[in-house]
Amino acid sequence: MDRLLDMALSAVLLAGLYATMAYGLGLIYGVLRVVNLAHGGVIMGGAYLGWYLHDRLGIDPYLSIPIVLVASFIVGVVMYQGLVRRLPRGPSGGPASLLLLFGVWLVLRNIAYLVFTGDDRTIRTAYSSSSVEIASSHVSVNRLVVLGLAVVIAVTLHLLLRRTQTGRAIRAVAQNADSCTLVGIDVNRIYTLTFGIGSALAGVAGVLLATLFSFSPNSGSSELLKSFVVVVLGGLGSVFGVAVAALIVATAEVFAILVLPAYLTTAVGFILLVLVLVLRPGGLFGTRVLS
Amino acid sequence: MTARPPALFSRRASIGFLAVCAVLAVLPVALDLSAYVHNQLTFLFITIAGALAWNWMGGFVGQVSFGHAAMFGLGAFVAGRLMLSFHLPPPLCWLGGAVVAGVLALGAHPLLRLRGPYFSIATIGVGEAARVVFTYWEKFTGGSSGLSLPIDGDLKYQLYWWALVLAAAVAAASVAIRRSSLGLKLLAIKADVDAAADVGISATFYQDLIFVLSGAVVALSGGLYASFLSFIEPADMFGFDRSISFVLTAVIGGVGTALGPVLGAVVFVIVKTYLLASHPDLHLGLYGLLLIGVILFEPLGLTGLFRRVMRGIRRAPGTAGQVKS
Amino acid sequence: MTRLMTRGLTKRFGGLAALDGVDITLREGEILGVIGPNGAGKTTLFSLIAGSQRPTSGEILLDGRAVTGLPAHRCVRAGIVRTHQIVRPFGNLTVFENVLVAAIHSHRPGAGHARDRAVEVLEFAGLADRMGQYPATLTLAGRKRLELARALSTGPRVLLLDEVVAGVNPTEALAFAALIRRVRDERGISVVMTEHVMPAVMSLSDRVVVLDHGKQIAEGTPAEVVANPMVISAYLGTATEQAAS
Repeated sequence: MDRLLDMALSAVLLAGLYATMAYGLGLIYGVLRVVNLAHGGVIMGGAYLGWYLHDRLGIDPYLSIPIVLVASFIVGVVMYQGLVRRLPRGPSGGPASLLLLFGVWLVLRNIAYLVFTGDDRTIRTAYSSSSVEIASSHVSVNRLVVLGLAVVIAVTLHLLLRRTQTGRAIRAVAQNADSCTLVGIDVNRIYTLTFGIGSALAGVAGVLLATLFSFSPNSGSSELLKSFVVVVLGGLGSVFGVAVAALIVATAEVFAILVLPAYLTTAVGFILLVLVLVLRPGGLFGTRVLS
Repeated sequence: MTARPPALFSRRASIGFLAVCAVLAVLPVALDLSAYVHNQLTFLFITIAGALAWNWMGGFVGQVSFGHAAMFGLGAFVAGRLMLSFHLPPPLCWLGGAVVAGVLALGAHPLLRLRGPYFSIATIGVGEAARVVFTYWEKFTGGSSGLSLPIDGDLKYQLYWWALVLAAAVAAASVAIRRSSLGLKLLAIKADVDAAADVGISATFYQDLIFVLSGAVVALSGGLYASFLSFIEPADMFGFDRSISFVLTAVIGGVGTALGPVLGAVVFVIVKTYLLASHPDLHLGLYGLLLIGVILFEPLGLTGLFRRVMRGIRRAPGTAGQVKS
Repeated sequence: MTRLMTRGLTKRFGGLAALDGVDITLREGEILGVIGPNGAGKTTLFSLIAGSQRPTSGEILLDGRAVTGLPAHRCVRAGIVRTHQIVRPFGNLTVFENVLVAAIHSHRPGAGHARDRAVEVLEFAGLADRMGQYPATLTLAGRKRLELARALSTGPRVLLLDEVVAGVNPTEALAFAALIRRVRDERGISVVMTEHVMPAVMSLSDRVVVLDHGKQIAEGTPAEVVANPMVISAYLGTATEQAAS
């Protein structure tokens, strides 16, 4: 029973990270209908930025989040204005956007490699090894903070999308971009904003990730895949849906460790993805994936 | 209009093609090539075959796969295992790898019903899962230590011609597919899967077919590559970088065109060889920039550039009724 | 001679019945019109018959043979083909290739080489001079003709026309109407058509079926249907509801 509680706790804590990762991808896809293949790269970039700020300037990773947020936002805006915006829209736009953003991912990887070398890194603070006792489980402080931040981010995102003018515009564009131009919404500005916010979320997720796990320039695929699984499962409709889906994915992963040999746990994310796509085409909240 | 369809291969093109192959076939002997150049060309031919085969999926049908390394690695290791454990002649081992990959590609059928980006991301998943699984399946792949195949100098020398034959066959097949009714159907599926079904084309059947063919050929090239290196390890064979190389060669050369990937493969090998010498750390970034450049400025890559140049030179009206991409 | 028949055809999405127990008969050599207010289920009916979707229950019979639940491409092979409300040409193929690729999978393989058939159909549809062009260069009317030609080249026995006249100018509409009559008269194809453009449907159809909220509410000749009080209230009813809300 204790073991079960441990695992449930682990799942909840992990879910926070996964949800944060997924919001960025989901937002961009929901509004622009573009799958941001550079998502993993931006997460990785955020991780490195957080690491750098901590390693060279001694800034606590959680306190550096605003900086990473802004930096990632800018990167997202630049990516959109400089590249994505120039994509030919239309039926063959699909593979083009994938390949373009894939190219961006490769460039990000290379930059990280050149600046930071290919060594694995992680952010170790004074309290990294500390843990707190919760209902007879030992929970690492980092994980708790990450969960807390994840909740804050989720709530903020929800409020942004539901209560602000901009948020409403974003949701309107996601529904029907063409109609929005008719009512005077600057669709291009919304796209830029969305890409920026999506990247900002990814960057922040990267910092959070860096405090929990190690990473390298090669990181990103598994984060991309997991984000995608969460988005497909949770649908594009609500922040809450994504959170629930993140919990499901995290739970599956945590419990998979029970049944699978150690090395396969890294493949769990991939296996989950394939299963989800093939077996649950409608997702939990109704996104259509299959023909 | 006459009832006979235009021939798949024009007489001039066929002769030209055979001439090029003949020249390449005698090149090593005629020019007394150094072992280095000889091997580089072998590697080029293997790369060409793989790039063309990837393009059948990514270019003709429009299903972009970021996980073809799974097929490549499978072909390499099945061939390697057959050589080590059963001492079969290499060509048989390569074929064995192709058959296994083809059968497994059939198993990927459910994946093929996915659309566009979902399929592509699923392939990332499959590729990475394959890498993880095979890295730890020590009995089959030797784990992180990899497999050492018996070093056969003669074979490596002859590999040049084996690879040339493979590349030539795959190139001819590419043109044949593209120009045939099969190619038309694939393009229709690429344009609009549902509308294609509404005129009688079974998308699942053709996608399965192309996926099996593509996978088998890429596996075949993997088998040849295994004999080429004589030492193969899962991290390399199944690696993401490997999957990336398929995408790059086809896109830079001209995704969707019949022979564009050949150009892409040439560029890829040249860049890799040159970069390896001077700036080994820049290859990913360079490829990324090339990809971005192609997508934004010339979606048909080098083939597109070439066509633009030719049109500029010729300034004659294009022929009507030709299959365009 | 009944060419096509549906029995109790039903399609539910969750709790909503888009189509509820529809019985339609299409006789050989007939043009059957299907009308109804928006959301009545006309396109759903087409999707079910043509195989784009599977019915929740009910049957579809072609020449007495069950074709219920066959996927779209098999329906085409059996002889049922549809056009789309919003035209969907293959943008990466020329006009000729669009029609050719459909001709290759023909219902009647013996009817001549696919290329010949493609040419013949394009001439029939009045697109012979545009064979080498891409669909993007055609006007909407041209693309609708292409859609029709493409469907015809599969050599169907039953042709489902989904609002083929909508959106074109009156001259083109008349030309289309003539074309549809020729499809039936010269090629022996039985046609089911749905339209919002009332004059077109009423003048072309031999019989008309009226749908409302997924159910069949009337059937008969155009004159009979137009005079049917239930039909009138279905159309007016919608207008009244909209006015009230």
